[in-house]
This record gives sequence, C-alpha cells and structure tokens, in this order.
Amino acid sequence: MDNLAFRGRAASEPLVSLAMQRALQSWDGLIKSLPIGVYTCDREGVLVQYNRRAAELWGHAPIPGDTQFRFCGTYRAFKPDGTPLDPAEAPVAEVLRTGRPVRNREVVIERPDGQRLFILANVDPLLDEHGEILGGVNCFQDITALKEAEAAKAERERRTRELLEALPAAIYTTDASGRITFYNQAAIDLWGCRPEIGSSEWCGSWRLWWPDGTALPHDECPMAVALKQNRPVRGYEAVAERPDGTRVPFIPFPTPLRNEEGELIGAVNMLVDVSERKVAETRQRALVDELNHRVKNTLATVQSLAAQTIRGSDVPGGVREAFEARIVALSRAHDQLTRGAWESADLAAIADAVVAPFGDGTDRLSIKGPPVRLPPQSALTLAIVLHELATNAAKYGALSNSAGTVGLSWSVTANGAGPRLEIEWREVCGRAIGAPARKGFGTRLIERGIRQELKGAAEIAYDRTGLRCRIEIPVASTGT
Amino acid sequence: MSEPAPRGASPLAGLTVLIVEDETIISFLIEDMALELGAGEICHAAGVAEALAFLAERRPDTAIVDVNLGGELAYPVAERLAALGVPFVFATGYGRQGVSAGWDSHPVLQKPFPVETLAREMREVLAR
Repeated sequence: MDNLAFRGRAASEPLVSLAMQRALQSWDGLIKSLPIGVYTCDREGVLVQYNRRAAELWGHAPIPGDTQFRFCGTYRAFKPDGTPLDPAEAPVAEVLRTGRPVRNREVVIERPDGQRLFILANVDPLLDEHGEILGGVNCFQDITALKEAEAAKAERERRTRELLEALPAAIYTTDASGRITFYNQAAIDLWGCRPEIGSSEWCGSWRLWWPDGTALPHDECPMAVALKQNRPVRGYEAVAERPDGTRVPFIPFPTPLRNEEGELIGAVNMLVDVSERKVAETRQRALVDELNHRVKNTLATVQSLAAQTIRGSDVPGGVREAFEARIVALSRAHDQLTRGAWESADLAAIADAVVAPFGDGTDRLSIKGPPVRLPPQSALTLAIVLHELATNAAKYGALSNSAGTVGLSWSVTANGAGPRLEIEWREVCGRAIGAPARKGFGTRLIERGIRQELKGAAEIAYDRTGLRCRIEIPVASTGT
Repeated sequence: MSEPAPRGASPLAGLTVLIVEDETIISFLIEDMALELGAGEICHAAGVAEALAFLAERRPDTAIVDVNLGGELAYPVAERLAALGVPFVFATGYGRQGVSAGWDSHPVLQKPFPVETLAREMREVLAR
C-alpha cells in the first residue's frame, strides 16, 4: 500500500483513510467501481461472481451458479466475423483447458435486446498453491465505438480507392520513403506493367526518359524530387517506356501528402498522358511548315512573274531589284512568324533579318532594344517599314556614303492605355537632307500603315544631320 | 549588302547548270538568274526520276535542287549529285529546317531569294 501513500503529509495523519481502507479491503468496493467488466468462473466455467460493469455490458444480471451460462454471462456470442462462437471456443473455456492466459481476444456478445457489442477479453487462470486450475477471471471492455471508427475509416479508405480506381487519369501513391502503396488501372495502362506494392520505388514505369531522349533514373524523377524536397513539383514532362518498348509522353503532378502535424507521410502522383497532344502538335507543326512552304513558293512565283513582266519592257533598271528586295523582306518577316507558330515574332529577329544585311559589318549600323513579341500584322508591316527605311538610307541617306551611321533602337513604355512600343530610326550622314518632292511608298506606308493599321503614331523628320523617324504603336505584351 | 554582289562577276560563267524544280514559273526565275550569273547551258528536271535519268546521261557542272518536288523529296537526286562530285545548292520554301538530317549542313537557299544570294551561295559551293 506504500505506493498509495501521499508523501509530504503531516506524520499525524493516517497514510490511508479508514473509508479508503474499507473500500480497498472490500472486493466489491474495488471491482464494482472499475469501468471494465470483470467476472470469475469456476473450473467448469460456471459464473461465480461479476461486477456492475459486466452486468451493464451483458445487459442483464445472471444468477451466479446458474449453469445455463457457461464461461460467460451472455446468452449468445459471436466471432468478429459474425459467425456463432461455440461456448467451447470462448476465451474462458480456452484458459480453463490450457491454463495459459488469453490476451486481447475480440468477441462479439449479444445482449437480450439484440444489440451486439464488440468486446476485448483478457482472461487469466486462477490457480491454487499447487498450480491446479481453480477457475478463470475475465476482464473485458467494450470496444464497439473503436471498432465502428475503424470500420468507418476503412470504408472511407475503400471509397477513396474506388474513386481513384474510377478516375481515367493514372494515379499512384507512395509512402514517405517512395515505396509504391497504391496505383489504379489507368496507371497500369500507362506503365504497361504492374509494379510491386511495397518494394517498387518512386514510379511504377518500366523505364523513364526525358523528352530529349536522355535516361531519367527513377530516383531523380519528379515524384522522387517531390518526396525528397517535400514540395509539389510542376512543369515537367517525361516519357515512360513500357516493357514492350512503346513510349508514352506524360506530364506528372507529384504532390506530397502530410498528416495533421504536417509531417510527410507519402505522396500522390497523377500522370497525364499527352500522346494525343504531341500528335496534334506535330500535325500543327507540319501544317505551319506546309503553309510556310506554300507562301514562300507563291512569293517566289510572284517574283518570277514580275521578272518575266519586266523583262523586255522599257522599265528602267533597278526596278526589278527593288521589287525583289521588298518581296524578300516580306518573306523574312514570314520566317520569323513561322518560327513563332504564326502567333508572334520577335522584333529584334525581324530587324536582324531585314535591316542588318544593309550594314557592312561595322558599327555604322546599330540595332538595339529589349525583346518584344509582335503579332503577325504588326510584324509584317514593321518589316516592310524597316526595309523601306534601310533601302532609302542605302540610296540617299546615311548608308549611301562611307561615313554616315544609322541607329535603330526601341523601348517599351507603359502608360495608362497599356504598353507602347517606341521605335526610333536615326540617321547621321553629316549633311542636310531635304524632304522628297513626292511622297514615296515608304513614307506613305509609315504614315498610313502605322497610324491607321497599327493604331500608332509616326513622325518623319528631315533635319540637318539626316533622316529621323519615330514610330509608336500599342503592344499587347512584352518579353519573349 | 553584307557581301556586296559584284553584278559583273559571273560565278556560273560557261557552266552547265541543272535546275531541279517542279514549279515552272519559279524555274523561269532561277533560269534567268543562272543566265544572269553567266551560265553556259541550263538543263531542267521537274521530278526525281527525270533528274536521275538526266544524271545517268550527263554530268552537269553544278545544280540548284528544290527539296520538295510536288510531294516527292529530292534527296535521291542530292545523293547522286554528291556521288558524282557535282557541287550543288538546295532551294526550298521550308528553309534550313526543311532539310532533313544528313543534309542539314548543306547550303540552302530560302525562297524567295534575290540573285545576289544565289551568286554568293554558288561561289561558295563551287569553291569547295
């Protein structure tokens, strides 16, 4: 009883109160108050005594010594799977037969009102001083609520699994160390094989490749990165090779799974098969290539028709060359648009293709500006405008002598109406150039094409040092 | 021009030039350009079979070969020309990326092209 003493109390006070001593000495007092059921049986399994909680759990109070109850105080008992429990298989019967304790045995008991309870039984033999079996004592508790919670959890897991199974996307999960714990039918279809649950790691595919064809080791795949770095990994594409050699391009979406404490417990990965998109991209690429081929051949045909028309006529020399140069400038802008899948073209690339050939490789001609993507119409119009400016400079302006310089530069400024592209063409040729008597094609194109077609502003000035042209057009977005 | 085309220079002076091109009007243009560059004789083929038949009979000094001949690719012609040691250039609407692996370092004229570009490329392949 020492362990029940309250240390530090005054020595005059009794260590244990009289009432407490009475309660401890009384078997009923102690056993009655326990929140678990306790009963004893004699060596034939007949009930000898039981506590209040036992009667509560049984749902009735059997009379001790009543031989209709053997090994237990309940009318009917079942195994956890629901099949009837033969009294000879009851935990107490087993202990009386073997003399060895039974631990944590699950039994279902039925109360007189038909309600069934899940019981966890712990039975010990009662032995006399010679080690002979006198009977048994069973301490049992109601674990129905626990079992129901377990069943509900299993049901939730089953539903989640069913849901994942039913999804057409390939899905699999791993534990925190990357071992595969689950995969659905769509994953089997994508991988072309069934990885070993609990031993296959990181990804269930047979082999992995990067889109460029280099090998991708499983322990470096996006799922492995997600687990090792404990973060979702996005924006990658990979190729799975099946055992039959076929390859499937896919986009993975590996996402770590964490418990309530935030600890990594595994990861889930969804693999989206992008084969069809790849085929569509290839087809679109082929279509754009074919379109470009047609456009180029048509431009070459127009070039030829113009040459055949001019040949033998009294058109002055140089006309054919000027025409050809315009056709070629247009064609170079087309090249840039083809490169951008006819969605946009880079201004610097257009300037390089159209204007740079007029330079002599020295710094007399400088081209500089930030990356700007132009939509097709702006790209084509600006290509011709730049070609006209360069041609004019070569014929009459800064590039017609050996000392002049041309600076082509641009910048993007944002104001209330959205970003605007400002282009400056500045010639320095050391002599004054007067405005031409008649507005040429280039001037008209700059004025009408920029102002009306591209909703911008343009200004051409012929000052003491040379021609200056400022163009300003709205642009949707900037950057590459 | 980055490489001023000497109009007077005649890189094809006196040479026999095979033009493999399926589009007639474009073949006129290339023929006129070749003549402008001094070509002595122009021979035409509009398809792979016709070009190979010509090459079985004669060996031109140089050739200008369209890659896509009405859906037929001209590589057998290119291989034959290479086997014969005839310097040539490709001409194509597809440009550089339209030429398949194996020929991707061979000179390509992107249609449409001015005569100066043809002159530059011809000078280059003939100097090899």
